[in-house]
Amino acid sequence: MSGMWLFVMILLLGAMAAGVGFWWVRRREQKVAMLRERLVTVTQCARQTGDNIAHDLRTPLTRLRGDVEAALRQDDAAAHRATLERTLGEVEGMQSIINALLTLGQAEAGGIRVKKRPVDLTALLEEMLELYIPSAEERQLRLEGRIAPRMLIEADRQLLARIFSNLLDNALKYVPAGGLIMLTGAIKGGRAEITVEDSGPGVPQEMREKIFERFTRLDSSRTIASGAGLGLSLVKAFARLLQGDVTIGSSSLGGAAFSVTLPASAASVSTPFPR
Amino acid sequence: MKLLIMEDDVAAARSLKEGLEQAGHGVDLAHDGDQGYALARQGHHDLWIMDVMMPGRDGLSVLKALRDEGRRTPALIVSALGEVDERVEGLRAGGDDYVVKPYAFAELLARVEALLRRAHAFGGSPETSLELADLKIDLLSRSVIRAGQAIDLQPREFRLLEYLMRNAGQVVTRTMLLENVWEYFFDPQTNVVDVHISRLRQKIDKSFATPLLHTVRGEGYILRAER
Repeated sequence: MSGMWLFVMILLLGAMAAGVGFWWVRRREQKVAMLRERLVTVTQCARQTGDNIAHDLRTPLTRLRGDVEAALRQDDAAAHRATLERTLGEVEGMQSIINALLTLGQAEAGGIRVKKRPVDLTALLEEMLELYIPSAEERQLRLEGRIAPRMLIEADRQLLARIFSNLLDNALKYVPAGGLIMLTGAIKGGRAEITVEDSGPGVPQEMREKIFERFTRLDSSRTIASGAGLGLSLVKAFARLLQGDVTIGSSSLGGAAFSVTLPASAASVSTPFPR
Repeated sequence: MKLLIMEDDVAAARSLKEGLEQAGHGVDLAHDGDQGYALARQGHHDLWIMDVMMPGRDGLSVLKALRDEGRRTPALIVSALGEVDERVEGLRAGGDDYVVKPYAFAELLARVEALLRRAHAFGGSPETSLELADLKIDLLSRSVIRAGQAIDLQPREFRLLEYLMRNAGQVVTRTMLLENVWEYFFDPQTNVVDVHISRLRQKIDKSFATPLLHTVRGEGYILRAER
């Protein structure tokens, strides 16, 4: 009898061990598959980014080389000086692409240490308005705010400012003279929602998913003057560093609406309707 | 003024030295941390310019060691790392200002001059007013008068003018203004600072014979009485 029990026990233990083993192997397989998928995405991303960087740096490099070679064929101090000045401009443009890419790489890899502190979001948004309104007026644009009072969040003030500054830079660049840009901030369902919307041309539906990717520009001219197409990628990366996100939609003003959501501090006053 | 540059890239150090000498400063060079530390300890310099990444001892640990010995010479940190936390780390190690590589020489020079000036301004009692030609600002009542005429400024315009007045006679860059007047450590793509400057200029210069606020092309702005 006991032999029989022993046999059954061994059989049961064996089956359990096999089950656990099988489960473990499957889990490993799933993990490996997940990792493989992630690796493929990262590689594709890296390859595409690499191609884009090469393109984005090759264009100014080509201009630069042509300019320098032409200057070397001449013997005119004034022309040399003009070439040097243009060279410096191209170098600055390339520098800003490289800086943005480095920051983006760091942000996406979690390499930027975020120092979260209580931030008065209301005050920060009002500062942003104060900083940008004169530039908007100079371009014959109206920049207005509807900002709820006493919004507090736990965040990094510099990262927040970079997010809103990038969105406002974008709006100022794309909204034609006579237009309106609206900065709205309110607490909704325990999250702070900040929207930059405008009366500009908006972003076509088919571009909306792509717009946060590196080197996506609405105008197809790949000149440095139009920006490198990294601003919105930075906005997304910074928002995620702050446990938030950014999305794009249509504004009732007729153009694009970029909404940033961020975790709000418990101390915030919930104000669904901005004043 | 006598400056000490700690920079391991020989070509970069040489062009920096030339530029600073042209601006009227004496310059000593060190190409690694140990040499820089030894030269700095001689105590002959009015300012240290130190690269963070150097062979041997890095810039921050050299600076920390010098500060621990009680040496108070102003230090400008130069780093290839531009993120905010790296800046904070640099300032915590005892740095007085921070520039990111690759920098414009004008940016570095403007910061060097501002640090040298600040170091020499120390020691007196805190100022309650600042004056330049017929322009006077009262730091307590936060009022501005030019040629006997009161000028109404917004709070930020006042801070902007105060910073320019404290650095009168010296070029200040847009980045310096963003950092010191707005406390933002990044450069927006829009020319926000230029527009604020032109509004301030409207208020303090427009109805007066001599302009005080001048643009220095490719560098920044300067507040000074003579053209």
